[in-house]
Amino acid sequence: MKPIQHLLLILLSVCFLLLGCGSESNSSNESDTTNKVVLGKVTLDNAWARPGSQQGKSAAYLRISNGTASTDTLLSFSSDAAESVELHESIKHDDGTTSMQPAGQQVIPSTEKLQLQPGGMHLMLINLKKDITVGDSLRISLDFARVGTLTATVPVQIQQ
Amino acid sequence: MNSTLKSLLVSLLLVATFTACGPDALYDLSEDTFQLRDSDSTLVNFPADFKGDVSLITFIYTNCPDVCPAITANMTNIQRKLDDTTGINFIEISFDPERDSPSVLKEYRDLYGLNEQFTMLTSHPNDSDLLLDKLDIVAEKTIIDSLGYDSTNYAMRHSNTLYLMGRQGYIRAEYPAHRVTSEHVKDDINYLRSE
Repeated sequence: MKPIQHLLLILLSVCFLLLGCGSESNSSNESDTTNKVVLGKVTLDNAWARPGSQQGKSAAYLRISNGTASTDTLLSFSSDAAESVELHESIKHDDGTTSMQPAGQQVIPSTEKLQLQPGGMHLMLINLKKDITVGDSLRISLDFARVGTLTATVPVQIQQ
Repeated sequence: MNSTLKSLLVSLLLVATFTACGPDALYDLSEDTFQLRDSDSTLVNFPADFKGDVSLITFIYTNCPDVCPAITANMTNIQRKLDDTTGINFIEISFDPERDSPSVLKEYRDLYGLNEQFTMLTSHPNDSDLLLDKLDIVAEKTIIDSLGYDSTNYAMRHSNTLYLMGRQGYIRAEYPAHRVTSEHVKDDINYLRSE
């Protein structure tokens, strides 16, 4: 390789590095959640839902991983299987009893995960449109402030 | 009967009494009868109909989407991990009899694929407190604003309890129902079986 080619290759590499660092720097300084520049992605996995009867309730669980460079916020939920979906949390009290309450808006920082799991946070499916039984699958959509709406396919299964 | 024999009989009686309801007994149901209904609407005398067996007893309501199904899942896990389930009853009692009729309980047991070793029980709404009070089970209606509220739409704050009852109707052990390990319960069941 000739010296001029070496020089060009080095210059090209420096340009790529600068471009990469520049983008990351911009996004990490973002505090405005309306900014539409999104690097990386939010992923949903490990999703499953409990069986339930028509007009009854069910609970769905999944893991949300914020792989973007910015904080994101969960705003709302919906499903083809239920009239409404709410984020709830089971709370253990000092006297050993358990109750449930709405979990409020969840902010998920960059690179962090939000785990919905039995005995903790869960998506409560309210007024199921039909019976959902083991082997069925539902679609649940989660609306985020930055990345918009993501939809998970959620199998119905029995907790093991 | 000479005095030595009398003393021996009295001693044996005392030993038998303390073995049955001594420090290991958390609650004594041996003389109680609560009339409940199972998921086929059959009348069940609790705990009399289960005497002679070892029983795992827990408390749920079927409108509970998270913790109660986890309790049921733990009951089935325990059942699955026992080498021999002969003579063991798995009993789930509703603390929400207003909504949990026998047919609702049947639907729940079908949804969760519970087999014939499971008994789902409910009571008349006016009677449920008697059993719950006896066993210190808390069950209070709570309101979640977003769900709205009417006489049939409420959540509940409740105990998360699993009891192990021996053959004579004495509650002998208590566990956190949705997370006790099957190994722990298994050892206690085997202990009660060997008595």
